[in-house]
Amino acid sequence: MARKIVSTGRGGAGKSTFVALISKYLKPPTLLIDLDPDLSLADMLGLDFHKEGKRTVCEALYDVVEKRKSNISPTITTHDLMESLLWSDCLYEGKRFDLITLGTKLTEGCLCAPDEILRKTIPKLAKNYTNLIVDSPAGVEHLNRNIVSDINDLFVLCDPSDKSLKHIPRIKEIIKQVGIRYSHLYLVANYEFDEEAEKYLQNTGEIYLGKIDYDAHLEQYNLEGKSLLELPEDSAASLSVKRILTKAGYQIRS
Amino acid sequence: MGKVIISTGRGGAGKSTFVALASKYLNPPKLLIDLDPDESLANMVGIDLNEKGRKTISGALYDVIEENKGVGRTGYNLLSDVLQPVLYRGVEFDLIALGTKFTVGCYCAPDAVLKDFIPTLVKDYEEVVVDSPAGLEHFNRKVVVDIDDLFVILDPSEKSIKHIERIRDITRELKVGYNHLYLIGNYKFTEETEEYLRSTGEAYLGKIDYDPDVKQYNLEGRSLLELPEDSPATVCVKRILVKAGYKITDGDLTIKSSEKIAKGLSL
Repeated sequence: MARKIVSTGRGGAGKSTFVALISKYLKPPTLLIDLDPDLSLADMLGLDFHKEGKRTVCEALYDVVEKRKSNISPTITTHDLMESLLWSDCLYEGKRFDLITLGTKLTEGCLCAPDEILRKTIPKLAKNYTNLIVDSPAGVEHLNRNIVSDINDLFVLCDPSDKSLKHIPRIKEIIKQVGIRYSHLYLVANYEFDEEAEKYLQNTGEIYLGKIDYDAHLEQYNLEGKSLLELPEDSAASLSVKRILTKAGYQIRS
Repeated sequence: MGKVIISTGRGGAGKSTFVALASKYLNPPKLLIDLDPDESLANMVGIDLNEKGRKTISGALYDVIEENKGVGRTGYNLLSDVLQPVLYRGVEFDLIALGTKFTVGCYCAPDAVLKDFIPTLVKDYEEVVVDSPAGLEHFNRKVVVDIDDLFVILDPSEKSIKHIERIRDITRELKVGYNHLYLIGNYKFTEETEEYLRSTGEAYLGKIDYDPDVKQYNLEGRSLLELPEDSPATVCVKRILVKAGYKITDGDLTIKSSEKIAKGLSL
């Protein structure tokens, strides 16, 4: 069973950046799941999902629903059909990582349906990997949906604001009430923190693992849409992430 | 009929900061709506809703459902039971917050309540400003379908540029109507990166300059309404609003800000 890692936090805190960077240092095989409908993790890893012949969960689901409409006697449920498509059409398998992307939905209604498919499939998918990393959309709704109910390490990325500090007890309360279990909750600060602001995180009563230092390369890579996997080993952000993972008890793969 | 203004964008771009700063210069009476379950707008404009005896939509809805369990009453009056305890009425502005829910499931129900109220609410105000949660799902839910001005706040990343395309696709597919779409760059943009925003084909209104006060106020949880009139972020927001054709409320300010604009734009 894979170790299930979830990266969460307020918008812009650096959730996807953190996932992209740590994916490099974890013991393979690793499965990445991008839960953000405003998809970007694939881009950050230098992967053109569609060019690889893969579809997002939302795209596959839309086709299934449409196909089912024209089929006079649907003998297979949407969910079963979707689950098989998830493996064949939505799962990108690469040398460095595998990836599933939720994708943007262009029809009316919320994302409960595609989220639900992932929620049910994640326990099965987890069996095939050493590490399964979920990159969450900004905010709290994915927690209300209880998409990953059994988390090993929950990394909460923080930006230096009062809102971020209020976010921590808020998500803990949601997690408790909806029945999500986790082994560890770790706080990680983004580059915008200075030493003074870091004190706020040290006093929350949660485990604070440190901050990801400012990295000019990183900013440039994100702007140009270059893969973060190409970031030099000795760049500030890479070093920070390695330090944070070590602190959380991870064996770093070199 | 009030003007409906939406602030949207990727996470951390500065949606709420923009709403808080702009709120000061819009025409009264005005209503601010915080659509983000990870609520923060009230704090940013110096209101503690709890202290004011106000509930959030999620909170009020939960209470109504719990109170009616076992009573046998299946229907309840949403307007009196949900909206009344939720609407904060202030001197400067009114405010409604969606709020966090602590039960399993998505935010369709509280969003739907708001969606129903909005057409009624806009009649009572000159301007209604909706601060969206990060991302796109609020468009899928069509919480607001008739938008006057859609402000998209952006950070300098390729993801942001792609985000603009996604907003175009999603609003077109779902028939979410708007009169104007305006792009705003956040303080992280440089002159070089601003070029990306100028070449998108959408109306780019400029950037909000770096302002150490905003950073400090946000860290301490202080109201952004107390920012000095001449602070960089405030000046930029005024400039942006004027560019978008807003008549800024305070006459004095209009002159001052337009002078600054003239300078800023080197007209």
